[in-house]
Amino acid sequence: MSGFGSPADIGVAQYLLMMIEEIGDGTAALPHTVGHFPGTPNTLDADGRLGTDLLTCIIDSIGGMTSGLASLPDWIVTTNLMIRRAPDALTGAHGTGELTLNTHVLRRGRSAVVTRVEVTDLNGSAVATSWMSCAILTPANGPPAFNRPVKPIERDVPDDPIFAAPTHEFFNLSASDTPGVVHLSIEQRLRNPWGILHGGSSAVALDAAARSLVVGRSTVEPTPEAIVTDLAVHYLSPGRVGPIVATATSAGRSGPDHLVRVEVRDQGAEDRLMALAMTTVHQLD
Amino acid sequence: MSLLALESEQDKTGDVRGWMPVTPFTSTPDGMARLATVAMLVDALGGMRSITASDPDWAFTADMSIHLLPAGPTELLQADLHVRRRGRRTLVIEAELLADDERPAGSALLTFAVVPRPEHLVNITIDMTPGRRKMNANSTHEKLEMSYLDELELRVSQPGIASIELRPAVCNTVGALHGAIHASLVDEASASLARSFFDGGAVTTDMHLAYLDLGRVGPLVATATAIGGPSGGRLTASVDVHDGNGALVSTATTEVVAL
Repeated sequence: MSGFGSPADIGVAQYLLMMIEEIGDGTAALPHTVGHFPGTPNTLDADGRLGTDLLTCIIDSIGGMTSGLASLPDWIVTTNLMIRRAPDALTGAHGTGELTLNTHVLRRGRSAVVTRVEVTDLNGSAVATSWMSCAILTPANGPPAFNRPVKPIERDVPDDPIFAAPTHEFFNLSASDTPGVVHLSIEQRLRNPWGILHGGSSAVALDAAARSLVVGRSTVEPTPEAIVTDLAVHYLSPGRVGPIVATATSAGRSGPDHLVRVEVRDQGAEDRLMALAMTTVHQLD
Repeated sequence: MSLLALESEQDKTGDVRGWMPVTPFTSTPDGMARLATVAMLVDALGGMRSITASDPDWAFTADMSIHLLPAGPTELLQADLHVRRRGRRTLVIEAELLADDERPAGSALLTFAVVPRPEHLVNITIDMTPGRRKMNANSTHEKLEMSYLDELELRVSQPGIASIELRPAVCNTVGALHGAIHASLVDEASASLARSFFDGGAVTTDMHLAYLDLGRVGPLVATATAIGGPSGGRLTASVDVHDGNGALVSTATTEVVAL
């Protein structure tokens, strides 16, 4: 579930601090929203660039919310999400700093929604493009409450230093002895209002596992020499128990681009397969 | 499908293996299977695999993601398909691609929407007995004699814009543009856009394609737009396919590499 209920309940949203505004009067059948991601020092790399882990988080957040608005009075769960980064925005000044996410619902069917998210930097340069599919469902306690059109929410950030920590610390990642294997221990801040692991958390774990495999180091920290440029992730079942284990395997390479397959499993829930992803990890010069 | 001479084999578990010969009419200049043809292979095999996986319901392709690897000149492309999830409303199938029985050639992930079996398909009889066979009986006497995309009568009017008229040869059983032909449009719109950047030609290597609606009115037109600029011999594109009424029927993102 891409969660946007009470801001107080969504730790990932409090960490990312993205502001979202609905364009128009809130009556459009296919909603349009714009997100503004401020980019705090703890979320950006040394060049001021957002990794694909958190990029996936903010795309999932705004795309999920916008898909949900299209589905009211029902709500949605993200079923899959595809991202491609602009090749000229992987190094240098392009694609750094604050980001804008322009989000359009492309289709609202009886049981599914498809939504596009285009990400640009403050100069209007393309950073990434994405589309995602969501399944429509009827939540037991109703959908999140929204006043339409949706206006930016000022989120109260808990007085806890973890909300200013680097990504791998906030998401409680740990490396295993083997490159390409990453563990995530579920904390309350990583759950969405429905109590399951936020979809972005899975993306953070699988991104770290893929990069770790390619650089050949057991690490969950930033890898300046490698970046995920393309991600196709299918969410197959919710993460509830943990630990969550992301395991990356190589499917082949094309020059500096490594095709990596990643499985994310909930070890505490009979090792259930939560997510399956194919990613391209680009080794930078 | 008949022109690509696809073959398939299903085992007792329902899993499917399929093959496609790669010829000068279906390959890229460097001898590998063109993405447009790979899309037809995995779409056809995925559809076959979905029949038993979704039974007693039915399944329609909702999206398709393909990553190709530089497997080198290829004579026969093999695809092995496995169900990764069968939920109440969705089915996820993964395909592993192998060139000439030995070299990794990429992978594909497909999502199917599971729906009650349509009335006209309730009593359909499909031969699911094990054994390798042609997927289309016409393959025994129909052969490609020109480029696959030329055979489809797929046209490029300018870099980044590819179109096709709706005619029976490119339609599915409900008279809409075949899902794999959407991929052909996306492939060629992207490659033609990239060729305007790269002097020596370009090949589409990756695609994430979402089906939004049936393309029942021709011509179908794919428009590719670059996401940022090219770098390191690579271009990323966003591609929208509209039908003859201007309705958006599919959308994709692609990666294209210079030759």
